[in-house]
Amino acid sequence: MTDAALRQRELEAQPMWRILLDQFLEHRMAVAGFGVIMLFLAIALLAPVISAVTGLDPDRQNVFNRYQSPGSHLDLSTHERELRVQAFLRQADRSALVDFLAARDLLEFTVDEEDLLYELVTDYEPLALAEQLDGLMAAVPDQAREPLRDFRNMVADFRSFHLLGTDELGRDVLIRLIYGTRVSVTVGLLVALVAGLIGLLVGSLAGYYGGRTDAILMRFTDALLSLPILVVLIVVSAIDLGKVFGGTPLAFIVESRHESVIKMILILCLFSWMQAARLVRGSILSIKEQEFVLAARVLGAKDRTIIGAHIVPNVIAPLLVAVTLGIGNAILFEAALSFLGLGIQPPTPSWGNMLNNAQEMVQHAPTLAILPGLLILFTVISFNYVGDGLRDAIDPKSIRR
Amino acid sequence: MTAYILRRLLQTVVVILLLSYFCYLLMTLMPGDPVDEMIMANPEITSADIDRLRALHGLDQPVWVRYWNWASSIATGDLGYSRTYRVPVTEILGPRLLNTFILAGAALLVALIVAIPLGVWAALRKNSTADYVINLFAFAGISVPSFWIAIVLILVFAVYIPLFPAGGTGSIAFDMTPWEAFVDRLKFLVLPVLSLSFLSIGTYVRYTRAAMLEAMGNDYIRTARAKGLSWPRIYLMHGFRNALIPLITITALSFSTLFSGAIITETVFAYQGVGQLVFESIQSNDFNVAMIAFMISVSMVLLMNLIADLLYGVADPRISYA
Amino acid sequence: MSTRALLFVALIVLVIGALAYVRPQLMRPGELPTNAELKIGITQEFENLNPIVMSMVATTYVYRMVGRSLIQLDEDSQWLPQLATEIPTLENGLARRVSDGEREWIEAEWEIHPDASWGDGEPLTCRDFRFSWEVGLSPNVGVPNIEIYRQIADIHIDPENPKHCTFEYREARWNFNRHHLFYPLPEHLERPVFERYADQPEGYEQHSNYTRDPTNPGLYSGPYRIVNLGLGSHIILERNPHFYGDAAHIDRIVIMLIPNTGTLEANLRAGSIDMVSQLGMTFDQSLAFANRVEAQDLPFRVNFQPGLTYEHLDLNLDNPFLKDIRVRRALVYAIDREGLTDALFDGLQPPALHNLAPTDPWYTEDPERIVIYRHSRRQANRLLDEAGWAWRDDGYRYNEDGERLRLRLMTTAGNKVRELVQIYLQDQWRGIGVDVRIQNDPGRVFFGQTMRRREFGGVAMYAWSSSPENNPRSMVSSEAIPSEENGWSGQNYPGWSNTRVDELVDELDRAFDEQARLDLIHEILWHYTSEVPVIPLYYRSETSVTPINLTGYRIPGHQISAANHVERWRLLDEDELAATRNGSDAP
Repeated sequence: MTDAALRQRELEAQPMWRILLDQFLEHRMAVAGFGVIMLFLAIALLAPVISAVTGLDPDRQNVFNRYQSPGSHLDLSTHERELRVQAFLRQADRSALVDFLAARDLLEFTVDEEDLLYELVTDYEPLALAEQLDGLMAAVPDQAREPLRDFRNMVADFRSFHLLGTDELGRDVLIRLIYGTRVSVTVGLLVALVAGLIGLLVGSLAGYYGGRTDAILMRFTDALLSLPILVVLIVVSAIDLGKVFGGTPLAFIVESRHESVIKMILILCLFSWMQAARLVRGSILSIKEQEFVLAARVLGAKDRTIIGAHIVPNVIAPLLVAVTLGIGNAILFEAALSFLGLGIQPPTPSWGNMLNNAQEMVQHAPTLAILPGLLILFTVISFNYVGDGLRDAIDPKSIRR
Repeated sequence: MTAYILRRLLQTVVVILLLSYFCYLLMTLMPGDPVDEMIMANPEITSADIDRLRALHGLDQPVWVRYWNWASSIATGDLGYSRTYRVPVTEILGPRLLNTFILAGAALLVALIVAIPLGVWAALRKNSTADYVINLFAFAGISVPSFWIAIVLILVFAVYIPLFPAGGTGSIAFDMTPWEAFVDRLKFLVLPVLSLSFLSIGTYVRYTRAAMLEAMGNDYIRTARAKGLSWPRIYLMHGFRNALIPLITITALSFSTLFSGAIITETVFAYQGVGQLVFESIQSNDFNVAMIAFMISVSMVLLMNLIADLLYGVADPRISYA
Repeated sequence: MSTRALLFVALIVLVIGALAYVRPQLMRPGELPTNAELKIGITQEFENLNPIVMSMVATTYVYRMVGRSLIQLDEDSQWLPQLATEIPTLENGLARRVSDGEREWIEAEWEIHPDASWGDGEPLTCRDFRFSWEVGLSPNVGVPNIEIYRQIADIHIDPENPKHCTFEYREARWNFNRHHLFYPLPEHLERPVFERYADQPEGYEQHSNYTRDPTNPGLYSGPYRIVNLGLGSHIILERNPHFYGDAAHIDRIVIMLIPNTGTLEANLRAGSIDMVSQLGMTFDQSLAFANRVEAQDLPFRVNFQPGLTYEHLDLNLDNPFLKDIRVRRALVYAIDREGLTDALFDGLQPPALHNLAPTDPWYTEDPERIVIYRHSRRQANRLLDEAGWAWRDDGYRYNEDGERLRLRLMTTAGNKVRELVQIYLQDQWRGIGVDVRIQNDPGRVFFGQTMRRREFGGVAMYAWSSSPENNPRSMVSSEAIPSEENGWSGQNYPGWSNTRVDELVDELDRAFDEQARLDLIHEILWHYTSEVPVIPLYYRSETSVTPINLTGYRIPGHQISAANHVERWRLLDEDELAATRNGSDAP
């Protein structure tokens, strides 16, 4: 930006958000971090799409191809092929196709017509079979043409490419990392948001009313802060949610497929709002005594109005920073707990439990351990940079007028 | 001043008492108890055996009764008996505490030695390449999962390039001279200390840098410069001294992560510290050990907060205790 | 990019390149351990080594090096005397059935090895066993399994010869002499402690010499004695000069606790331990390590030994879906157990047919005597069709009420192999339209709560490890179904109730004839396999890693650890090793 442009800008009264945005954009690493986060968010949101497009499934195993190196082409497991044939046969009446193929004598041995398709897919290499079937296209009678094409396309899909190799059950590492992004980022975002809200509530109550309310709430906050957090998390995560929520409206949590994810979020929320509460209280204390709040009070504004109209907006900025940094911390805590085997339970992939699964095999399949670790590092570092950028942007001292 | 300290101490004691009950309650909320642990080891144990043992260990009593028994025996100076190891708590906890203090102390020292110069440098060369690199390094330290860095360190420095032992506290041998024993201990400390300090270096660098920037912006620095004082004097005597206050606070507060932070590092490196012991004792519901460790950790944090508050007064004469 | 940044990147590339180059040279195998010292790594915690109260697996492993029991099971699952000179049986006349008309019991003559003594030279006699029995029965001592002591009504010591005594048993059971868990306590050291603290709960345990003075040589009767005990850290053992048997070859054994399995392996590679015990690597890790040993010619041997540990699935028979025997059978048919062990375990953990392991003398695979299910998805589908479960387009089966065939599959969280198998099973059952939800509890919740109170909704996976020729009463008798009324005792978690089986287990205890016992157990097995309250999966293999020059070592494949024969372990020197290698190369 040239000096002239700068001067020009100064002449126009800039709206506050504009100033903040400019400030933020000046922090190059924060912008980069923001980009990385958006990328991860997009990946997390698009995970099912990616799965559909690539034909990879985070749960599909291939147990005879465990720990394959990155960049492997693999055939589906026999079990999976048979399941697909089973589904194919169930979908519609395939007798025309079966009759046609039976007459072709593709196998060196004779089998029951019932077993024919199963034997074909397990006996042939998928690509070879697809080629064979292509060759039959010309001779096929009309009523079997459509099924044959479907069958051929299904068979051609039996081969998959694994960019990052496979894990301990022959599952694709890439798609699991992508789904892991979902879990880890969701946990991080939700925990930081909820913790921010709790912190806002507790902090503003304490800061605004002061006196005994403040003393009790803040001693409580301090007490929680003094607890060794990881130790408490270890204890709490061992508590059986079924006992706590059984019979209550919250029982659905325990029933849900993602029980351990929800549990993780709840636990982390309970123990990560304290910093935010302190921060909010601190800023309220300083704002409370300022002239505009006194003026509002003199004019007879209700508590609710004062809190809502004057105090909250002034508290939001530092809170935003705290929440951003909190996301990173929540992701780290999730990973740590999963690493100790107390976190997200398999088969749901999360970066933490992927790392945990990989750690003992670290000398045999180092990529399995290094990749999730790197992803955690990148994500958390990005959130930290964004938080830093936000802080710089809203810090009145660093605003250059 | 004395009255202030006394009042704070009293508050601290009350908080510790309440927290101890809270922790005890939390522990009992975990299902299963030490006796259940035995089932896993020995399927021939019958349920009658389990009830007998539970009654013997007093586990069939309500929580508050057990808490009361525990608290009153603590009050008489008896820290109890570790159900897991079947020895008095002091016997198992003492050496572990010492080990953790050595590890955490060394890590803190390394972190401060590395972080303070880096932070000061970054602040003085704000927005230079050096500042960016230092910042990146600091953020990496804050953002890296502790167990991951530990695993990577083992892979690189114990397996690929076998410079240091992959884990443990020290060589198990009798015939070492004190000097050899010391060197041996050091060798085992290197990787855990590296991994533990890497995490806090980031925090310290960030704080030092921020505090230093803040201090450098103050009027007295300008005055000092105007007086024509030499650069080192300005930075060290005036700038850095004022940057010290927040640094002291954060250092004191970092003790709260002493046990927590060390749990993972100690587990991965098989270091015989208190963090690992706490983890094990929680896992096996070894109440006496876990509770004492809890209490030590909590008391230390609260005490450190108090000390940090008092140190403020020493470093900054503007703060007084009314 | 600035020049400096370029230089920096170049430096990093150089370092990585150098590492890649240097690495192979650094990975050269280190020196082989010698008889002077053997360092063994374990991952599980141990407690102090008082044999009467110890309950951790790792402690029992180590204890076999320092202490002996009355009898033992050798590597071939044969019962042999250990501290005794001979095992009394009805056949050899050392034991007899006695009756007073009202009840019948057994009396047996035991003789302690003439040279057996404690590590301080004090002879080991029947008094030490009697004392141990006394302590075991004390209500204030937390013995894990009191039945070991309760089955004995009294011990009469020969006044002439304290090495000779008569055990008077409470009942007449054919397996009265199975005293492999009956350990002596040194009366000369422990009696004063016991008398002083006998009336305090846990008083004896807390003040015992095993706690207060664990390096006292008089506490140990095995080939080694403890010279240093660091709880949660290590144990150092040295040869016991007063051991009654053959002197051990290895001078000193160090046992190191390394809780993290990854670190354990790194330690092995870096040479800070020489060997990993059975309580070390996970099965998966051992497999991968075995491949590396072969590929890189590392100086280790990875040992696999199928054991008595029986991994299985308990089906909760209170579950409305599982009440139907067709559904249970369909679940068995749908599992490819051979495929499972081939894929996940390289075939090294054998698939199971029922609860008895192949090493058990009672084992049978005779299709006339038990029901054998060969993997057949078609058969499974047919059974489910019959039972009224129809496919829907979502790929799952539903009943007439529109309920999906959904089962919860639980196991102990954090057990990696079980988690792998669990996911494998989920996939297999998806193939017959069963929706499996995985939910895992931490070990102590799983055993202490979920299983004990039968709160597992559908299917639970875990293992039993038992001794050979063990009466399966606690797992199959209807009296062993845990319930509120019986104080949640018993381990018949599926809730299987079969009156014929109840009779059979009672008869089994009283059957003194071997063939009769075989017939009885096989009939139990027939009911067990036919009604499928439990789906057998596989027998777990024990694994360990030993240095290539260790001889005399074998994993026994039952609950008595390999350390039982520690005195036979010997580390060959380079020449001997070369000689055995040449020997084995010869045709």
